[in-house]
Amino acid sequence: MASISIEYILYEGMGMDPIALQAGYDLLGDGRPETLWLGIGTLLMLIGTFYFIARGWGVTDKEAREYYSITILIPGIASAAYLSMFFGIGLTEVSVGGEMLDIYYARYADWLFTTPLLLLDLALLAKVDRSTIGTLVGVDALMIVTGLIGALSHTPLARYTWWLFSTIAMIVVLYFLATSLRAATKERSADVQSTFNTLTALVLVLWTAYPILWIVGTEGAGVVGLGIETLLFMALDVTAKVGFGFILLRSRAILGETEAPEPSAGADAQAAD
Amino acid sequence: MTNTNTEQSPVLRTRSVVGIAVCVVTAFVGIFLIPTLQEPGGGFNVRFWTMAALELLAMVGVVYFVLNLHEEPR
Repeated sequence: MASISIEYILYEGMGMDPIALQAGYDLLGDGRPETLWLGIGTLLMLIGTFYFIARGWGVTDKEAREYYSITILIPGIASAAYLSMFFGIGLTEVSVGGEMLDIYYARYADWLFTTPLLLLDLALLAKVDRSTIGTLVGVDALMIVTGLIGALSHTPLARYTWWLFSTIAMIVVLYFLATSLRAATKERSADVQSTFNTLTALVLVLWTAYPILWIVGTEGAGVVGLGIETLLFMALDVTAKVGFGFILLRSRAILGETEAPEPSAGADAQAAD
Repeated sequence: MTNTNTEQSPVLRTRSVVGIAVCVVTAFVGIFLIPTLQEPGGGFNVRFWTMAALELLAMVGVVYFVLNLHEEPR
């Protein structure tokens, strides 16, 4: 398919026969219209990586260095994962109920590496102890690994069961963020609290969308086609990684008051009290 | 946390910087591993879980080395 295709197709996955919307542009001419979104994802992740590198060049502050180290790696590894999916390397087929499903497994490799690092950024902001960081990272890894098992499972029942397991692990992680880590930030400055609250809200909203997209996408019920699914995953990934890093590294909590481009909204509100 | 000229720059641990670099290379290798391993054989699940293990190892390594990025003050 070498032209922009936005078409309704009858998708017969999982025996549900839903209508699925396919969209994209086959950049490589190998019959994968989703390569458009994978290519855009690669570019945006690369731009984010180089922007963070340029921004962090020459930073000498101890804590800022740690944030930059983590935040540069996140879109850096994600860009490699997107590149592998773009060229079809990070793609395999899994037999589900007698049908072959295209599974972009590189997505899971990306998430296994990057989602704990996003949590590490938040844990460093909250200044929690190492055992708390270990617990958070461990539950997050469990969330991704069980999602992986679900992606490789051959029966719908097994796939949905592992999806449920993974989603429960995600809820635990998000609950931990919204309670324990948020409580720990009370000991920190107003700027740190403001940045933490903004980033936590971003993570809560975006991460909740992933299992929903999985369940309605080609790996789940197949209501949404691979083109739209890839586009939405790309938008979520870019926002959750590059958008997250952009907010974090431009905040006063990292830069200090003299260098921040603009005051944090929450900090101003607290200062006015 | 602010960069000021009066503060002395903290000393980076070379071992941690090298460790992060090794972990990043491991993570990259993990992502591109499966097609490379297709030639020697082995089931897809074995190759797939090898990749997952590499990514997990790389992630744990990065977390450890970032938390130990600087020399502790004596």
